Amino acid sequence: MKQAFSSPLAATAVVLSLLLAGCAAPPSPPARSSYVVLLPSPDGSVGQVVVQGQSGQQVLTKAQQGVALDGKTPPFEVKPEDLQRDFGAAMAARPPLPEQFLLYFETGGTKLTTESEALLPRIIERAKARTSLDMSVIGHTDTQGQSQANEALALQRASAMATQLRELGLMDAILSIESHGERNLLVATPDDSAEPRNRRVEITLR
Amino acid sequence: MKFKPLLPAMLTCVLLTLPASAQTAAPPVGYVKTVTGEAWVTSAGQNMRAVPGTPVLLGSQLKTLAKSSLGVTFKDNTLMSFGPDTELTVDDYLYAPAQDQLKLGVRLSKGSLNYISGVIARLKPDAVRVATPTGIIGVRGTQFVVQVEDKP
Repeated sequence: MKQAFSSPLAATAVVLSLLLAGCAAPPSPPARSSYVVLLPSPDGSVGQVVVQGQSGQQVLTKAQQGVALDGKTPPFEVKPEDLQRDFGAAMAARPPLPEQFLLYFETGGTKLTTESEALLPRIIERAKARTSLDMSVIGHTDTQGQSQANEALALQRASAMATQLRELGLMDAILSIESHGERNLLVATPDDSAEPRNRRVEITLR
Repeated sequence: MKFKPLLPAMLTCVLLTLPASAQTAAPPVGYVKTVTGEAWVTSAGQNMRAVPGTPVLLGSQLKTLAKSSLGVTFKDNTLMSFGPDTELTVDDYLYAPAQDQLKLGVRLSKGSLNYISGVIARLKPDAVRVATPTGIIGVRGTQFVVQVEDKP
């Protein structure tokens, strides 16, 4: 009995699923429409896009899902050729991803640890590989000592690194120097704690 | 963008009479990194032809012409790039993570945009919005592309 049923059932299931697929697949966007498409982040993760439109709210949760900006209709899948047609130029103009480096310091001053000192040539090399470079250099301290003194120390660290990077060959780079003092800890600690990982300068190449 | 001819001239006059410090007070919020064809950055009434290194300020209008493109990297590492015939205005930009001051608001009036989240979206997703003529886009740490067509 089981055998006899299985094959027509299977056939029906196939026909039904084909019909359903035909009905369920919403149309791809027509050329020249206003819509947004969710894509994976450069690290491969997929976030969410929420569209609050004139005619409703829609949420995109899957890569390559698109939705009209008026929020009226449910999301649809966007074909690679449509993505290329509408967004190829914008995607090709994407700037290179920023790169970040952390340099660590001996306690209380602007002397780099040996490991961090050895990282400098690599930073210069990566910086020079960029056609248009702007750089930020942000200094930090741990929570040992007075917060005002740490504000000044973090600025000294950042300035020392900026000077060193310029001397090593980044003379013409657009460069901003900031101090976050002990206000932006990498590793949370109580006040007045020596923590090597918090004594750092963050260098971002953009 | 159609300017009434008198307005930019008047704005320029006003700006010229301001002290130099007022004009240079606002630090750039980002820089142009890529250009093909012809693109423009308009800041405080001044038009600048975009080249790699052109600063983008709070309030800047970015514009690409036909067969052109533009890419900008913001201070918080947000990336935005644009296809041809695009216009975008930077309405809000606040980036001071140590003071918890974070905001990114842009307006895409036409054309195409490729957006990649930076630190602002990571620390405070609600602080990011991309406005278009028909809807507002909010993000949860991601990349997206969006197109606005004036002929629906």
